[in-house]
Amino acid sequence: MNEPRIGVYVCHCGLNIAGTVDVEAVARYAARLPGVVVSRDYKYTCSDPGQEMIRRDIADFGLDRVVVAACSPRMHEPTFRRTLEAAGLNPYFLEMANIREQCAWVHPEEPETTRKAQELVAAAVRRVSLHQPLLPRGVPIEPAALVVGGGIAGIQAALDIADAGYQVYLVERQPTIGGKMAQLDKTFPTLDCST
Amino acid sequence: MMDAGRHPRIEILTLSEVVDVQGYVGNFQVRVRRKPRYVIEDLCTGCGACVEACVWKDRVPSEFEAGMGMRNAAYIPFPQAVPLKAVIDPHSCLWLVKGKCGKKCERACERGAIDFEMQETFLDLKVGVVILATGFDLTDDPSLARYGYGVYDNVIDGLQFERLSSAGGPTGGRILTKDGRVPKAIAFLHCIGSRDDEASEYCSRICCMYATKQAHLAREKTGGEVYQFYIDMRTAGKGYEEFYKRIQKEGVYFIRGKVADVVPDDGRLLVRAEDTLLGRLVEVPVDMVVLATAARPAKGSKELAQLFNVSLDKDGFFMEAHPKLRPVSTHTDGIFLAGCCQSPKDIPDTVAQASAAATRALVLLNQGQVEIEPTTARVIEARCSGCGECTLVCAYSAIEVVEGKARVNEALCKGCGTCAAACLAKAIVAQHFTDEELVAEITGIFERERVLA
Repeated sequence: MNEPRIGVYVCHCGLNIAGTVDVEAVARYAARLPGVVVSRDYKYTCSDPGQEMIRRDIADFGLDRVVVAACSPRMHEPTFRRTLEAAGLNPYFLEMANIREQCAWVHPEEPETTRKAQELVAAAVRRVSLHQPLLPRGVPIEPAALVVGGGIAGIQAALDIADAGYQVYLVERQPTIGGKMAQLDKTFPTLDCST
Repeated sequence: MMDAGRHPRIEILTLSEVVDVQGYVGNFQVRVRRKPRYVIEDLCTGCGACVEACVWKDRVPSEFEAGMGMRNAAYIPFPQAVPLKAVIDPHSCLWLVKGKCGKKCERACERGAIDFEMQETFLDLKVGVVILATGFDLTDDPSLARYGYGVYDNVIDGLQFERLSSAGGPTGGRILTKDGRVPKAIAFLHCIGSRDDEASEYCSRICCMYATKQAHLAREKTGGEVYQFYIDMRTAGKGYEEFYKRIQKEGVYFIRGKVADVVPDDGRLLVRAEDTLLGRLVEVPVDMVVLATAARPAKGSKELAQLFNVSLDKDGFFMEAHPKLRPVSTHTDGIFLAGCCQSPKDIPDTVAQASAAATRALVLLNQGQVEIEPTTARVIEARCSGCGECTLVCAYSAIEVVEGKARVNEALCKGCGTCAAACLAKAIVAQHFTDEELVAEITGIFERERVLA
C-alpha cells in the first residue's frame, strides 16, 4: 500500500475545546505524525467554511485520509463523511478523535488536556491509515405498514399512511376498533362528541 | 372510525394479536393470531337478530359500558362499532362453555353467519414499518380500595362516569346512583394512582381536565353540588385554562387537598380530606364519588416490547428514542410510537403524535429502500469451520451457518463485533474495527514521547 496522505483538522468548537486544550499545539503535534501531509486548527470545523477547507485540502494536497479532532462522532461523523464524499473520497476514509466530550469537557485544565488530545489524535491518525473503503448497501422496503392498536392513535396513523397510498394492517385485540375514545361522552375543552 | 373501516387500503384485523415478529426495518415478518368471532364477518350484516335471540340476556358486564351496563353472550359492542358485526363471547355463551343451548341465535340469523366451529387462525404479514399504538389502561392500583372503589356502590372511575353521562349509555345519559337516584352531591377525586408515592410518581396529565369536564356535565345534568379535590390543577393546553375558569364560575367547588379516604355515612359517602389552603380538615357527604384514575401502561405492553424489541421506561410505557428530537421513534429502526402507549396524553396530542409517527413511517416507505451501514461483520470463508460459536453470541440473530460456513445478514448486523471477538479461528472481521486498526490506535496513544523526542 502506498503511504497514506492524511489531513488533520483540530477543532476549537468555539471555546468548548479551545478553552481547555491548546489546539494549536495539538495541530503542531499532529503535523509530525507519520503520513500527515497537512494539519490545521479551525474555529468551527463543522461549519460550511470549515468543510470547504477540508474539501480544498483534499484536492490541493491529494489527501486520501482525513482525521477530524472535534466532538463525538455521534454528533458530526455523518457531516464529515459527506464532506469526504463530496470531495470524491470514500466516506469511510474518515476518523474522528473525540477531544470534546472525552477530553475538554471532562478534564479540568492544561497541560493534561492538551496531552490527552494529542494522544487521541495520534491514535486516530494511526487507525485511519488502515481504513478500507466501504460502501453502504440498500435493502428494499416492503410497501406496507402494521399498526398495532385500533384506538384514536392507531386509527389516525393508519388513515394517514393509507391516504398516502400504502397498504395498512390495523390489528386490534377487541372485536371493534375505537378504543377508549369511543367510550367517552363529551371531550374537553370544546365539549364535542367523541364518536 | 368509519373512515378507517371504509378505506380500501386499510385491512382491519379485530380480535387479533401479534404473536411473533421477525426481520428488520423494511422487512418485518409478523404473525397475527386471529381469535374466532363465531360469526362469519363477510355474511354478517350487523342486523342484531342473533343478539335479540341470545338466551343469555343481560348477564355479562359490558366491556364497552365499563361494567356499568350488561350485554348478552352474543352482542354487538356498541352501535357505531367498526366493523359492525356481531360477536359471540366464548366465555359466556352457553353453547361454547357448556355445549348446552338451543342455539336460537343460529336459527335467528337469516344469512347463516353464525359458525360455532370457527377456530383461531394465524395470518402472516410482510410489512416495512410498524406503529405501536396500544394505548393505556386505567390504574387498578390497590390504593383504590382506600377510596371505596370496589367496596361501596357509587364509587366509580372516570370511564364509568363517561358511560353514565353518554346518551348511548346504560342510563340514557342520566347521572344516577346505583339505586336510581339523582345524586345531590358528587365528589371528584384527583390524582388517584398518580403523583402518589405509593402508586406512580408521574402526572397522568389528562385527569385534571377530564375530571373538570365531568364536573361540568355533573353540574349540568344533576343540578347538585359538585366538589373537586385536587393537589394542583394542571390545565396546560389550548383553551384548557379558560375551560377551568368557566367551570369554576358554574359553581363547582374546588378544594385543594388530596382525599385521605371515603367512608360510609348513613346511606351516603363521607369524603375526608385536608383543605390545604384553609389548613383544616374537611368532611363532605356526597352520593357519588368519581375517581380521576391515572392512565397506566396497557396490559401486555411488556410482552409486546419483547416481541418488537423496543424498550420500556421506568413506568412501563414504551420508550422513545430521544425525548425531544426523536419522540415518535424507538431504538429499533422502522418501529414508531403513537398515543398513550408512550405516555399519558390528551386527544389533540395523541392525534398529533399519530400523524407524526405516520410521517416518520412514510419517510421510510417513500424512500423505497433503507441504507445499511457497511460497518458490519464479514466472514473470511477460507478460515471458517462452521462451528457456529458466532451464531450463539450474536445478540441480533444476524448470523446463521449455511452449508458449513457462517453467513452474516448485513441488514440485521449492528457491527458490535462480538462475533469477531468470539471466533477462535479469526474467521470474522468487524469491518472498520479490525484487530489491526485497534492495535494501531493503541500504538498511536503511546507514541507521544517518541514523536516529540
